[in-house]
Amino acid sequence: MSVIKLKNISKDFGKGISKVQVLDNVNFTADLGELSLILGPSGSGKSTFLTIAGGLQTPTTGTVTVEGETLEKLSTKERDQLRLNKIGFVLQSYNLLPYLTVTDQFALVRRIKKIGNMSQEELDNLLEELDISQLVNHYPDEMSGGQNQRVAIARALYPNPPIILADEPTAALDSNRVKIVGRLFKDMAVKHHKAIVVVTHDMRLRDFADHIYQLMDGKLTMER
Amino acid sequence: MFLALKEIKHEKVRYGLIIAMIVMISYLMFILMGMMLGLANENKAALTTWSAQTVFLNKNANDNLGQSVITKDQLADHSLNKHEALVGQTATVMTRSKKKAHKESVQFIGLDAGQYIAKDNMPLVAGRHAKNKHELVADESLKVKGYQLGDKVKLNSTAENYRLVGFAKDSQLNVAPVVYGRLSTWRELRGAAPQVVASGIISNQREGASRFKELAHYPIAKFIQKLPGYAAENSTFMFMIGFLMVISLVIIAVFLYILTMQKMPNYAVLRAQGISARHLIGATIDQAVILTITGICGGLVLTLLTAWLMPMTVPLVLEWPLIGLISIILILLGGIGALLPVRMIMKVDPVRALNS
Repeated sequence: MSVIKLKNISKDFGKGISKVQVLDNVNFTADLGELSLILGPSGSGKSTFLTIAGGLQTPTTGTVTVEGETLEKLSTKERDQLRLNKIGFVLQSYNLLPYLTVTDQFALVRRIKKIGNMSQEELDNLLEELDISQLVNHYPDEMSGGQNQRVAIARALYPNPPIILADEPTAALDSNRVKIVGRLFKDMAVKHHKAIVVVTHDMRLRDFADHIYQLMDGKLTMER
Repeated sequence: MFLALKEIKHEKVRYGLIIAMIVMISYLMFILMGMMLGLANENKAALTTWSAQTVFLNKNANDNLGQSVITKDQLADHSLNKHEALVGQTATVMTRSKKKAHKESVQFIGLDAGQYIAKDNMPLVAGRHAKNKHELVADESLKVKGYQLGDKVKLNSTAENYRLVGFAKDSQLNVAPVVYGRLSTWRELRGAAPQVVASGIISNQREGASRFKELAHYPIAKFIQKLPGYAAENSTFMFMIGFLMVISLVIIAVFLYILTMQKMPNYAVLRAQGISARHLIGATIDQAVILTITGICGGLVLTLLTAWLMPMTVPLVLEWPLIGLISIILILLGGIGALLPVRMIMKVDPVRALNS
């Protein structure tokens, strides 16, 4: 079942001679239970693709549908609610709040979204799987880049959203960790029935993907 | 509240400095207010002790009890009732006769022993009331300055000796301690003509101007405002406190604005996660209120310490309802200061989360 549909999406920045077309008539669907990989070099429009798919910004033309709701028709508040309940973001620069310990990062989610989150047991298992269970009382500046990245992944998965959008989630990880994260994403997609979309230029994730897309010069093509 | 508390706990130095500034501002405000009340009290404490409600003076006295004289002719058609008392006021230098010659500027108040102030409205902290012309009762602040019961004193350059027989509670007028004696003594000190009776009439009832048509009539609030220097002193302090409130508003607003600017990438992440701008604004206002309340508590502790350590001679009066009012105003100002970055928070672009 498709949970995200991007139809005829174009995105322009600037006007006149400084106008740049970042996405050019992109069509994309993501289904529950599948891991989709969007590959492309820096500047190819991967992050813009992700922000439009997640309702963070609007396309110049085209429509985005998330679980049947057209994002362009939603108010800011409704989009906030949709992101809170249905989309988990894993961001390139981890973006954990610097003044919260790992435990508090999850506590914050729990305070905002009171129902539908992972149980404590599921969270403990997830932290164990990501090898960060020993870091629960640490602040982000007390952890390495890789550890921060894994905490950010756990934070995105904790609210149990049906959709995970990840921007370069393995950029700071060694090959072993990449395998763990790749397997985790794959398991989350299959076992927990989620649609996972990863934009990256990390070829090491190819083995875990159900679908692979190439984004080049704003055009998206399906490779597998 | 969660975000606000966690951030303050983690960024102890940064928020500690802001709290320290609010501590100093609130401390200064409480002390200034205490001094304003203290000085105001030294101006009018005796009037409060007398339960004065109405004052009658000579019409040419320029609103000043010390300058006023009432003559027998002006009272010819009137007899004073039990709520009224004749009062003679004059600024005097009191000198201790024997021990080290110590001079003290005082306000001499001459009273009629049979009228209500001398009989009922002069509570003592030590000693007894005067029984004759050569006995005086002094304000308790003179006791702190070393005067003792039984001390012999002289008033101005008169040759006569007087004996202190009591210390009266809360008896200060025009920022000087009051020394109570007889009206006849006041007449001598003033060098007044025989037909002069007193400086004015004090009543503990609200009376109309028609009671003594030949005299100027003052309700007590108006009379207090006319006390020399009283209104100017109070308005100076009020201005200082007002300016401090404005300064505290600006400081809180500027600090929160700068802190919010620094936290924009964090807010972008939270917005990307679907956390509403309303929640973030709430956290900012919570933070301002927590900082202000903590600062006020610190200021209050310093104020109480200062009041405890301050010598008795420094006029400092702490009134809890006013301290409470200033604290509430400061907390409200903190909340208003937090509104400055609200626009910025509302406009935070969650896309920044991906680009930061």
